[in-house]
Amino acid sequence: MIFSKKKIIIAYTIEKCPECNMQRKRKFAKGDILFTESSKCTSCNGIAVIEKIFGESFEQ
Amino acid sequence: MSDDSNPLMMLVWILPIILFVFYGQRIQLYVTSGEIKKAIKKLDSFREESKTELIDYIKKNTSFEIDSIKKIDRFLDYFTIMPVDMDPNGIVDKVQHTVRAREDYTREHIKTLYPQLSDFELTKVQTLLELASSLQMIHKIVNHMFLTAKKQNNYPLILPLQMILPFVMEQAEAMKEAISAFKSGQPVGDGIGPMVVGKMMLNCEKQILAFQTTLAKTDFEGRQLLLLKAEGPGSTVGRPADALEKIVSENTINTIIMVDAALKMEGEESASVAQGFGAAIGGIGTERFQIEAIATSKNIPIFSIVVKQSVKEAITLMTKEIADKADDTRQQVYEMIKENTKEGQSIVVIGVGNTVGVPQ
Repeated sequence: MIFSKKKIIIAYTIEKCPECNMQRKRKFAKGDILFTESSKCTSCNGIAVIEKIFGESFEQ
Repeated sequence: MSDDSNPLMMLVWILPIILFVFYGQRIQLYVTSGEIKKAIKKLDSFREESKTELIDYIKKNTSFEIDSIKKIDRFLDYFTIMPVDMDPNGIVDKVQHTVRAREDYTREHIKTLYPQLSDFELTKVQTLLELASSLQMIHKIVNHMFLTAKKQNNYPLILPLQMILPFVMEQAEAMKEAISAFKSGQPVGDGIGPMVVGKMMLNCEKQILAFQTTLAKTDFEGRQLLLLKAEGPGSTVGRPADALEKIVSENTINTIIMVDAALKMEGEESASVAQGFGAAIGGIGTERFQIEAIATSKNIPIFSIVVKQSVKEAITLMTKEIADKADDTRQQVYEMIKENTKEGQSIVVIGVGNTVGVPQ
């Protein structure tokens, strides 16, 4: 199909703070692994844990 | 002279009829050949791309030598001869032996070639090798079928190829796209089972029960849960049947619950969750056979929860829809336990699938 747009998939990581349940979505970074501690929570200073890693497709 | 009796007009009608009667099949062969040639060209590019990606990955993660790359090249051409099935008695054990021998041989050789690879990286290289090898085999088979039909100038011979080609291409495209997820150690759609059970295992003591297979014990509303999944975050499906055999030999099990990804039918919604009976586990069939045999001999009911997805979704980076269903599926596992078991009973929950990027 000449006019069909190319689809690209971008990987995202969802971090969740187990203390305040705050969620943050960011682009997947090398070394991200599910259920592991990731970064400091921006709202309560707790340690956020990687809750999900998934891909979303976009048309280019 | 009217148009009806004009000999020239009659020729215009009759000539194509004669042409199609005698050369119809050949014309169809040419038209179909064009489409198949395009597909073969695409398959060839997939094959080449997967090989390049594998070699690049090895170069980046090891101190490679040219010689070792040549050996990897040889691995791509490895074939597996399935056991004779004229006498089906004992065929499952034979198939399992052949497949495991191939896996063990490949793993050991990669280990010898690149001793600096960690176990995690080793499983990834092994999966990338399998993908590249499968794409090479698909290309070879399709090319062979096409060239045979062409050589014999035999149109009916090309028909089965034309019919299966869209399915083959779907599978091949999925395999090609799977490479990036496995390289980055990201969870794939098939990993939903390990993802559900892996979260249930968090903060529990774990032990390796069978090759690349982890067990964790926990309690839930007066019941003992024995949680089983492949050892993550490496790219492996583990050996859940071997682990179940060990569990059953040491414990009295009342129920088995399996969580897996299942192929959706056309028209079915992706990431829909369904419950059912029987062992939900794919692959070549040997693991399912073993699990069914254990359950039958001990009279243990097997319940299943599956998350529906397409072939492509199953082996490529997990989609948002599937990832969002993890909590709901886990909730359904707990409900299933409450509805089908009593306090004091023991339940085995198996998270089936490739556990790449999913620890426990």
